[in-house]
Amino acid sequence: MGQVGKRLALIDGVEKVTGQMRFAADDAVAGLAHAALLFSPHPHARVLSLDAGKVLAMAGVIGVWWHQTTPQNGYNSAIWLAGQQLLADERMFPAVVRHVGDRVAVVLADTEATARAAIELLEVTYDVLPAILSPEGAQAHTGPTVDADRQPTYLNPVAEVALDHGDVAAAFARASHVSQTHVTTPRSHHCAIETHVCRAWPEANDRIAIHSPCQSVFAVQAVVAQALGIAADRLHVTKSPIGGSFGGKAEPILDPICAFLAMQTGRVVQLQLSRHETFTATRTRSATEGRMRIALAADGRILGRDVVVTVDIGAYCTGGAYLPGSMLQRMVRLYDVPAERYRGRAVYTNTLPTGAFRGYGSPQIHALGEIALDLAARDAGFDPVALRLRNIVGPGAIDPWQGLNLGNARGADCLRRGAKAFGWETRAKLAPGTGRFRRGVGMAAATHINGCFPGDDESTTATLGLQADGGIVLNCALHDLGCGSDTTLAQIAAEVLGLGLQNIRVTPADTDTCTYDLGTRASRMTYIVGEAVRKAALALDQAIRDAAALALNAAAQDLTLLQGCVQSARTRISLADLAAWLVARKTALPSATQTHRATANPGSFAAHFAEVEVDTLTGRVQVTDYLAAHDIGRAINPMLVEGQIHGGIQIGLGYALYEDVAVDPGTGRLRGDSFARYTLANAPEMPPIRTLLVEEAEPTGPFGAKAVGEIATVAVAPALVNAVNAALGTRLTDLPLLPERIILALQN
Amino acid sequence: MTPDAIPRDRLTLWVNGREVSVIADPHDRLSHILRDRLGLTGLKEGCCEGECGACTVLVDDHPVASCLMLGFQAEGVRITTIEGLTQGGGLSGLQQAFLTYGAVQCGFCTPGMVMAAEGHLRANPDGDRAAIRHALAGNICRCTGFALIVDAVESEAERRQADLSNAMEAGA
Repeated sequence: MGQVGKRLALIDGVEKVTGQMRFAADDAVAGLAHAALLFSPHPHARVLSLDAGKVLAMAGVIGVWWHQTTPQNGYNSAIWLAGQQLLADERMFPAVVRHVGDRVAVVLADTEATARAAIELLEVTYDVLPAILSPEGAQAHTGPTVDADRQPTYLNPVAEVALDHGDVAAAFARASHVSQTHVTTPRSHHCAIETHVCRAWPEANDRIAIHSPCQSVFAVQAVVAQALGIAADRLHVTKSPIGGSFGGKAEPILDPICAFLAMQTGRVVQLQLSRHETFTATRTRSATEGRMRIALAADGRILGRDVVVTVDIGAYCTGGAYLPGSMLQRMVRLYDVPAERYRGRAVYTNTLPTGAFRGYGSPQIHALGEIALDLAARDAGFDPVALRLRNIVGPGAIDPWQGLNLGNARGADCLRRGAKAFGWETRAKLAPGTGRFRRGVGMAAATHINGCFPGDDESTTATLGLQADGGIVLNCALHDLGCGSDTTLAQIAAEVLGLGLQNIRVTPADTDTCTYDLGTRASRMTYIVGEAVRKAALALDQAIRDAAALALNAAAQDLTLLQGCVQSARTRISLADLAAWLVARKTALPSATQTHRATANPGSFAAHFAEVEVDTLTGRVQVTDYLAAHDIGRAINPMLVEGQIHGGIQIGLGYALYEDVAVDPGTGRLRGDSFARYTLANAPEMPPIRTLLVEEAEPTGPFGAKAVGEIATVAVAPALVNAVNAALGTRLTDLPLLPERIILALQN
Repeated sequence: MTPDAIPRDRLTLWVNGREVSVIADPHDRLSHILRDRLGLTGLKEGCCEGECGACTVLVDDHPVASCLMLGFQAEGVRITTIEGLTQGGGLSGLQQAFLTYGAVQCGFCTPGMVMAAEGHLRANPDGDRAAIRHALAGNICRCTGFALIVDAVESEAERRQADLSNAMEAGA
């Protein structure tokens, strides 16, 4: 009892602090073969020929493959179940490469050093084609996305989403203040410290095993089956521990190739990218440019908004077709706005493909919406917090796009309590100073989803069972990305079962033993999977008490589980003894399987407050104070919740101030292609952070819990940009706020 | 030059209190030798160019990015990896502090982070918070936002200081 709300250490923490955790590339395997990839140096080119003569003569080289010797099935690396309708425009090794870093060939060798040396000796000829390197160029390259044979045309737009809600023209006609703001957001990279890696090997019955750090084993299975054109049940996918993902490992990029090589050669194959390759040949967050017009009434009510957004999704569709809709979904769930017009489009460019990255469109649309609202507040003379309080949605609000109830929406509490704790009223009135260093405070509000309802069948199945040794095993397709979801879910089970965390063992996802699940994404682990675990734990509690009733000759309703024992007022039996008693009597051990199907998608809310100091000589921004208030429903493990918020702030701070892979508009190459050239906030750059949890219980969540993983990073960038603009009196709206951009704004 | 053409030689290292010997190439990085040849896979590689700090080990008590050191440069020095911190069984105080303070998430940067912190505390036992933050500047963590790591290191410095004063009182 009393597990929920406790600050418990990770259940797999000891393995992590001792270095004993076996990540995907850690196990020594005899005969392990290593693959290395050759990547395109051109943003758009036809691969004409490949001469592998020198390579095939090298000792230790097992083979070379390219587009003429590999399956050419079109696939989409972002699907999460077989048959999902999403533009299948990617190939393992395409005959026409579409971005710098696209895959040209692979070498398999006995050692990684040999494979990498061999790659350098491959001789390839290209017919270089014209490339589109900016979304502006893409706008002219239009047409249907598939031809008569349903083959991809790579024409734009890949997707378009529109919303017309209420009378927008009338809203602007009667507004007291109208503002218009244009915001651009960069391509940021996930920077998980473990680079992308995959292992595959042949298994019995003509199957292939894939072991990789992924966010859904079922997504890996679906994508690899599509790419190789084989039945999904020939693939046995297991999840390895994940050295950080943030969405970067959501799409199986290496898995199809690794599985193909294992099939071709019968070897255990490892394919691991270097840091440079992880930057240049995986995924980034999509760049966006957006324009928002806001109509404000004299009392601060937002009467209407008119929004146009273009999303640069890069060379392949991946999940980019969903982004304009995702951005709209998040936009309309924050404020109660009677009239909204939204036009969102996603376009291809000959640049690195984009994909999921912590928030899936939320950071982009909140950068636009919250910077635009702040500038509108400044122009109309409203306090930023008061203006947001005037408009933020409340409990039970219905969103105008999907018609969903936003649940126990506590954004206003985040704003009020956060502003008070931060001392907003006093600090917002302080002058920024007139010297070299200027101080300013800024804030932003945010919302995010809890799971994939109604877009997907948001159901999951959890099984909890008593083992012969008295332990409890949780079986569910779990992928803890490092956020501590295994710990959180074990805590939920332990709470119901009257156990300690140490009594619960969690099994990692395995396509052979787990029921289908959508995977770790969309902030769904605690809210969706947590509820399935809670229900399974309730059912197991009943099953254990029924079994113990026989053992103790007592009535099940008189028994309770407490501290590893089943007990009544007069008798007790430990779970280990109960299990032994049942096994000895050839009686099945108690087990319970429950499926939870969510029919709600409440909002999580946040308000972030920041103080910055800007050096007007160098353009450098130092974040000097930070407070994050989060509507979390109920914190299952406050320490892990705070950890999510701290980590989200680190990523958001980089998004605001430093991080951009920066596609060179002339060559299509990335400028930020290593840790030396892609700046991250490190320990000295991080501000002191205070967190404030609003725990007002969401009725549909397990123990009232809601999500925090993604929303943690969503409000950060606009809060910091707003603080810099407050400090300098500028209207900076192009992220990141690099020193040269700040200096330029000051000069103008 | 292909990998086969490179001359190899015997390399003797002193790792985690034991002498070990391998045949290695002159250009093999220390990180490669420790991880791939000696099986000390607690050592992680995140960039192989000295930027991420995941491969940090102690060289005579000083934290070093082992991807920037050649194996043959490490002859005659004491090397400690994360595996060497837990000798005698249980967790070290610093490792326990990482757990208690929530300084661990995915765990991939953790071994290098723990070694960087250990090296800092050995040279700077006073636990000054600003000094800890700067000592960890060469280690990237993408999960935790660093503050909880700094909290953990600070608490361990306090614990060691308290142990030290208790020992001095007992001795006096």
